[in-house]
Amino acid sequence: MRWVRAATRTELVLDRAHNAVISMDERGLVTYWNPSAEGMFGIESERAAGRPVAELIIPERFRAAHVAGLERFLADGTGPLLGRRVEMAALRCDGSEFPVEMTISAIRDGPGWTFTTFVQDISARRAAERERERLVEELQQALTGSERRFEAIVGRLSDPVTIRDRSDRITYANRAALVHLGFATTEELRRTPPAEIMRDYIVSREDGGAVAMDAIPSVRLLRGEAPEPLLIRTVHRRSGQERWNLLKASPLLDEAGQVESTIMVIEDVTEQKRAERRSEFLAEASRALASSLDYQRTLQTVAELAVPHIADWCAVDLVDRDGDRVSVSVAHVDPDKLRLADELRAYEPARPDPAQGLGLVLRTGEALLYPEITEQMISGAAVDGRHLELLRAVGFRSAAVVPITLGERVLGAMTLVSAESGRTLDRSDLELAEQVGARAAVAIENARIYSERSQIAHTLQQSLLPEELPDVPGYELASAYIPAFEYTEVGGDFYDVWQARGQWMLAVGDVTGKGVEAATLTSLVRHTLRATSDFLSSPAELLAQLDATLKRQRRRSVCTAICARVEPDGVTLAVGGHPLPLRVHPSGAEQAGEFGPLLGAFDEVDWQDRHVELPPGDTLVFFTDGVTDALRDDGERYGLERLRGALARCGEDTAAQVVATVTAAVEAFQAGEHADDTAVLALHRRPDHEHGDGAADEI
Amino acid sequence: MVRPTRFEITERVSRSAVTLSLLGELDMSTVPQLSDRVRHQLRDGADELTLDLRELAFMDSSGLRLLIELFDDSRRDGWTLRLIAPRHEAATLVLRATGADVALPFQTPPTS
Repeated sequence: MRWVRAATRTELVLDRAHNAVISMDERGLVTYWNPSAEGMFGIESERAAGRPVAELIIPERFRAAHVAGLERFLADGTGPLLGRRVEMAALRCDGSEFPVEMTISAIRDGPGWTFTTFVQDISARRAAERERERLVEELQQALTGSERRFEAIVGRLSDPVTIRDRSDRITYANRAALVHLGFATTEELRRTPPAEIMRDYIVSREDGGAVAMDAIPSVRLLRGEAPEPLLIRTVHRRSGQERWNLLKASPLLDEAGQVESTIMVIEDVTEQKRAERRSEFLAEASRALASSLDYQRTLQTVAELAVPHIADWCAVDLVDRDGDRVSVSVAHVDPDKLRLADELRAYEPARPDPAQGLGLVLRTGEALLYPEITEQMISGAAVDGRHLELLRAVGFRSAAVVPITLGERVLGAMTLVSAESGRTLDRSDLELAEQVGARAAVAIENARIYSERSQIAHTLQQSLLPEELPDVPGYELASAYIPAFEYTEVGGDFYDVWQARGQWMLAVGDVTGKGVEAATLTSLVRHTLRATSDFLSSPAELLAQLDATLKRQRRRSVCTAICARVEPDGVTLAVGGHPLPLRVHPSGAEQAGEFGPLLGAFDEVDWQDRHVELPPGDTLVFFTDGVTDALRDDGERYGLERLRGALARCGEDTAAQVVATVTAAVEAFQAGEHADDTAVLALHRRPDHEHGDGAADEI
Repeated sequence: MVRPTRFEITERVSRSAVTLSLLGELDMSTVPQLSDRVRHQLRDGADELTLDLRELAFMDSSGLRLLIELFDDSRRDGWTLRLIAPRHEAATLVLRATGADVALPFQTPPTS
């Protein structure tokens, strides 16, 4: 066993990565160091463990900047280097420096951050670049000299080199160029018109667009421009093999200084380009997976990132509790093709065939690669004519299915399909997909643990609210409770209505704190108020008792609360640091009562009883700060004035109508979900003509 | 998703006295930032901490709870906490509503 923390599946996968992968904690100390890192830096993982990354791999002159960058990220969350590919110098254990390319991503790891860096040694690439430049220079000089000397130099170049005349016809191609373009002799190549030379290939720009003839560097040179190297992607139509080429052109001038012909060097940058796209995809996918606990949404993001980086289609399926397949996300380079996916899905059973494809992966947890999908395989998989038609329309060329597993458990699978791009998927695509699958598993598990935990807290919280409000004679009560959405800070809003010493009491409050802790405190607050009301009837005295109880808690426990005693003509209430209730009457809505100190917080404080008269038809609305603090996406808070405005239009509405008005107004105001718990309790004094019902209950 | 609110902390250190000036909204999404920064300063040996809330545009109950906890810690661990009152209504509201305006160590009481 390595020294690394209980090796997670992600780390097991990273152990096999070609790039050096290093993780560090918030203090900059190494927490993970894969075998490639051992080779690249000459330091074994056991020795790297727990040591500052700065001392191990960063040249001394850059260390201060590294420390400052880390501190800055921890302070304000900004990190200009994060998620981008950066080239810099790195240090080996023998003190020598070498050029590297790296991508750093920051991932929330429990309470802190983990930083993971993918490092690629680019010394060889740099050396090759220098050598190529030198040779081309030599070549340019030599071309003014003898033919033989020219051959001798070009022959040494392992890159394809062509020389083109003023009409961009190839007049010379070296050995490597002939092999590259698929011709046996220079003669054969010379006879072929330029537009037909690439007929066996699908050629595109990096962004997928077509390559215009006049964007080719040699053509631009002939037009008298100074062209940048052009990056193109070629896919061989028959083999599906994908290559990345960098086209660079230099001019050969005649005696008058005019461009006579051009030398074009076709540099093969496939490996470098793939590594780049992969580390970008991996970094972006990791960031997406760590960014939210809503894994369905993040898996959609990951699927979208996979196209067109590594495939033309990406689909993620999870297995539910009953073992049925649930399609979570599908992405396609061409959004129109998504309709095809929907139609195809209708043919796919909930329990896919365990002997092949997705079903086999879900059963065994082993990845599958289909480099070449044949017509035979497609017709074998089709269940009817329409299905076959759809499968053909997709144009499957190649596919990979990787499991999303956690330990022994298969949570689902990710399917990658290559279609219109024509390229075949290979082992390295499969490895990349496996790495993403491993991260997706961790994200799904985190989300599950989180949602279980917050569900427990919510269930506890809700169990502390009265299941149904009692009938209070002469009054109508209504309430709403909206729990916070997807946030660890589950607040503890509560309300309660109870009878003590023949009188109806009510309380509304907000316990600050998190989850289960908040729920426990809520329970303490409610029971204290209820128990104390058996021998005290003044709301102010009840709050004072509650304050004393809270101060006896071992941990600082504070809460806001309003306690009220219902009387025939209104209420008597005391307020402990809680937003004042609003009295709704036919001509508007006003705050009622008087602020008093927060409960459990301060020394030498007391509370006052205030009587609030409620004429028939009036409603007293209690609420928690989840209402007024509700946030709109432009940063504006709902606020007291908007609430008053909404309530002012309620006139003599019933309690249920008033509560519905408040919740509807807040929901309409905030674009997203509730960030905080929100509770509303309305006490409506029935108009005199309705009084009959309540009075009858009393008799 | 919870929208990240705008929040900035500017730091001034003179020997063991530290002033943190807060700009923007102190709410449940930004409280951890301030809390981390304060704990960091205390670990580094600060024994006088001033929180300048003048430019605070909004504070909610979780922000208030942090101030109360810091005041507790300062009395227990023997360092000094000073608060400079916010000027904006939406930030003073929670202080006045809870009595924190008189109970916490404000140099001049929050008015508004």
